[in-house]
Amino acid sequence: MAPFELAEPASLAEAVSLLDLEGARPLSGGTALMLMMKAGVLRPARLVSLRRLGLDRIEANGSLQIGAMTSLRSLERSETVRKGWPVIARALRTLSNVRVRNVATVGGALAHADPHMDLPPLLAALGARVTVEGSNGRRTLPVEDLYAGYLENTLRKELITRVEIPAMGKRRAAYLKCTTRSADNWPAVGVAVVLGDEDRIFVSAATDRPTRLADEAAIADLKIEGDLHGSADYKKHLLRVYLRRAIDEARNAVH
Amino acid sequence: MKRATQSTETPQIGRSVPRLESWLKVTGRAEYVHNLRLPGMLYGRIFRSTVAHGRIKRVDVAAAQAVPGVYRVITSKEVREIVPEPYYGPAFHDQPILAIDKVRHVGEPVAVVLASDPHVAEEAVHLVTAEYEELPAVYDEVEAMSSKAIVHDALKPAGTFPDLKHLKGRTNTNVALDFHLRRGNPETAFKGAHRVFEHRFRTQQVMHTPLEPLVSVAESTESSLTIHTASQSPSFVRIEVARLLGWPENRIRVRVPFLGGGFGAKLYIKLEALVSVLSLLTKRPVKISLTMEEQFFTITKHASTFRIKSGVSQDGRIVARECEVWWNGGAYADIGPRVTQKSGFTAPGPYDIEHVAIDSYALYTNLPPAGALRGFGIPQLVWAYEGHTDMMARELGIDPIEFRRKNLLRDGRPQATGTVMRDAAIEKVLERLEVLMDWKSRHDKGTGTIKKGRGIAIGFKACVSPTTSLAAVNVNADGSCIVYCSTADMGQGSDTAMAQIAGEVLHLAAESVTVVHSDTDVTPYDMATLGSRSLFHMGNAVKLAAEDALKKLNQLRSELQLPADCPVPDIFKKKYGMQAGNVIGTGSYIPTYKSPDANGLTDNATPFWMVGGSGVELEVDTETGRVRVTRLVNVADVGTPINPRIVETQLSGAAIMQLGFTLHEKMEFDAQGQLRNASLAEYKIPGLLDLPEIITNEAVVAEQRTGPFGGKGVGETGTFGVSPAIANAIHDAVGVRLTELPLKPEDVWEKLR
Repeated sequence: MAPFELAEPASLAEAVSLLDLEGARPLSGGTALMLMMKAGVLRPARLVSLRRLGLDRIEANGSLQIGAMTSLRSLERSETVRKGWPVIARALRTLSNVRVRNVATVGGALAHADPHMDLPPLLAALGARVTVEGSNGRRTLPVEDLYAGYLENTLRKELITRVEIPAMGKRRAAYLKCTTRSADNWPAVGVAVVLGDEDRIFVSAATDRPTRLADEAAIADLKIEGDLHGSADYKKHLLRVYLRRAIDEARNAVH
Repeated sequence: MKRATQSTETPQIGRSVPRLESWLKVTGRAEYVHNLRLPGMLYGRIFRSTVAHGRIKRVDVAAAQAVPGVYRVITSKEVREIVPEPYYGPAFHDQPILAIDKVRHVGEPVAVVLASDPHVAEEAVHLVTAEYEELPAVYDEVEAMSSKAIVHDALKPAGTFPDLKHLKGRTNTNVALDFHLRRGNPETAFKGAHRVFEHRFRTQQVMHTPLEPLVSVAESTESSLTIHTASQSPSFVRIEVARLLGWPENRIRVRVPFLGGGFGAKLYIKLEALVSVLSLLTKRPVKISLTMEEQFFTITKHASTFRIKSGVSQDGRIVARECEVWWNGGAYADIGPRVTQKSGFTAPGPYDIEHVAIDSYALYTNLPPAGALRGFGIPQLVWAYEGHTDMMARELGIDPIEFRRKNLLRDGRPQATGTVMRDAAIEKVLERLEVLMDWKSRHDKGTGTIKKGRGIAIGFKACVSPTTSLAAVNVNADGSCIVYCSTADMGQGSDTAMAQIAGEVLHLAAESVTVVHSDTDVTPYDMATLGSRSLFHMGNAVKLAAEDALKKLNQLRSELQLPADCPVPDIFKKKYGMQAGNVIGTGSYIPTYKSPDANGLTDNATPFWMVGGSGVELEVDTETGRVRVTRLVNVADVGTPINPRIVETQLSGAAIMQLGFTLHEKMEFDAQGQLRNASLAEYKIPGLLDLPEIITNEAVVAEQRTGPFGGKGVGETGTFGVSPAIANAIHDAVGVRLTELPLKPEDVWEKLR
């Protein structure tokens, strides 16, 4: 890994201005970033750590507000989340492993834009919005609008600061994924289903970004490529099977 | 930690002594080469080939050399200043220290950047460039038999193995060794058979994945060289580096502390010749530590293809068997030719078959080299013959266990080579599997989309022969004891077992015995820690050494007219007038052996047989093809377990490793020989969630009469039956037969459609 400078700003304004410098990259949990740096895919001259920005609070006030630097483990263990949004706590239990969840953050998991990740399709299906901030100010957008393609987000030198998830109300939700090698492998398909006044279905892993589906029939039209997880045909088949299972689970879910 | 020397009459054999080094390991103080830093040490980073087969036109190191902090960049040109013929290997002298003229696989070392700061070396290695004239390449082991792409211009057998000498100078071939065995008259027997079955099986290339990647450090003077290395074979490293340099063995010292796993990856020479030459060139200590990813390009397990054909009589007896096995050895032979022969002769399986033909071929291809991996080729063979056995049993409508029992190779009967089976509890292993699997009871076939199945498989292995182990046992003036042996403790618990054996002879608690790690200046010769040989060979040597020490102590007692029960410290006090002196016992062990004749036959092929079987219960999701193993039973003949707890963890550890090779792991290459999943993010080894809820391990009641206190090796035995037992259980559950590893859910689903 190439040597780099580490900055630990104490304010968001400072972090944003540091990120304007040549070769700077934000560092949240680092679980994905460090692997990419070790592999030489990314060679930043400076890392701007976000851990001193005080962005790690979980609050519920009707909706659930999660600071971007909240660790996945804190989210998983939060009583508020377990009671109000249990589908999130359930999904996190099989997200990578506990060592990764201890350090990986919600903001990092959303910004990374790897379609194999669990939170983007689930939070998109739940109707979550993210707040992002940069030198041009602050804006909010739906989670699904964060993605432009494989490992490609729509952030314009901005940082995700917060995620807001509407109250579950009478909605019922499920997230299922299917791995085709070891259990902790990246999934071949991920399916998030939220049933309510408006049903929201998002699939990922097989697609290059979290993708909303109207219904099962829409799977046929998805652009899916075969890879080490399985052929395109097989992944489409798995999507159908897991969509039915996820709908079934959501129907029977407490939330 | 127990520090006092404990004289004891408590038996040390059969006692689950906790591992002697566990305290050091859990407190982070066990010595590993990975942690070693020497003053003035340079770190080397390897520049590797990006093509599978090509002539090197140009290697440009100028940009790397110009990076501030880079000490030197080395290519084969500089290597040849130290070693004019820098080719190494245990079976063939075919592997260059750094590529010369040609590269033969993606990832082959071409140059090394040296710097005091490993990050600088890492940065600079990205600036080395090379140009190749690409040559036609071959990747498949069967295609390699007739391919026009030839990996090596001429074969270069090492000369250490007499049965490879005839290959010297052979050209225009990728066959590194062809082993043939003929017993009886298979052709006629097939004609007379009631039914004939023929199947073809494949296994994939996988990696050892030791937690500690390969690492070596060399330091030198004009006339001496010390190599600190994570090696399973320090004695071989010394002999081979001495040969390359033209130095006597006593100028080269090879030290091996603990290993963070080995599984066959750290055998023979890997980085040792390279760091030695680098240190001699720079007159500085040099360290190379591979990354986990670099190991994919260093040593792997053979992919293989196995065509197996059996003739069965009307009453369900297998009367003839034909085995044709192709081993994909990759670009360098490593120990592949030995796998081809030493495992090849057991290809017909643990069955009593009168007419047998075996043809086993070691092939060069343009893939990363393959060598030994926990089983030395046996898991590939068992995968095929136990799938074949089950397929025949089902076709014939005979219960798979009954069919096996009918054909089993029993004690006192000759195996394919003609060597008579002794102390091989094959029947007992099968019997215990049947009981533990509750085979005779009605079995739940599952409901809805979840179908249940069960399957078993058994396999056996002949320990590689002939090999030598020497040991010394030192009794100090206070009665405490030190064992000197070159067996590498890589997590298998050999230190503990050797301490138990010495302790048993000398009436000392194993916990109070010190075992000195391999240091060729100190510890005597040992062939290597491989093939489950150490407990038997080194165990016998340690036992002989301890008995020798005991004999010398008793002689002293009688010379000094001391009573027979006189405590050891008092003997020394009487002899030397104070607490002084020591008694050293030595032991050397080499079993008898007879080379195979022209037909591959011998009446003494091996000093002992290992027998292992597995039973599996699993569920298949018929909608997705996903398989969940719910129960895994491993039964083995390990002779008398010296340390029952370690035996159990060796069996389960081996079985879990094989579970990964069965369901998840595969090195995936594209059409250009590029590895598509060279990281642990994309090459998946099993995690805790992949383990069956129930794993049962059992060593049957058995004794290896020629082993130390009845014991024999166990490191590999748990791997034998796992893969075919799972395939057999999948077939039992959903009627789908897979003949290629790994068993992918997509393949199950394809066949269910």
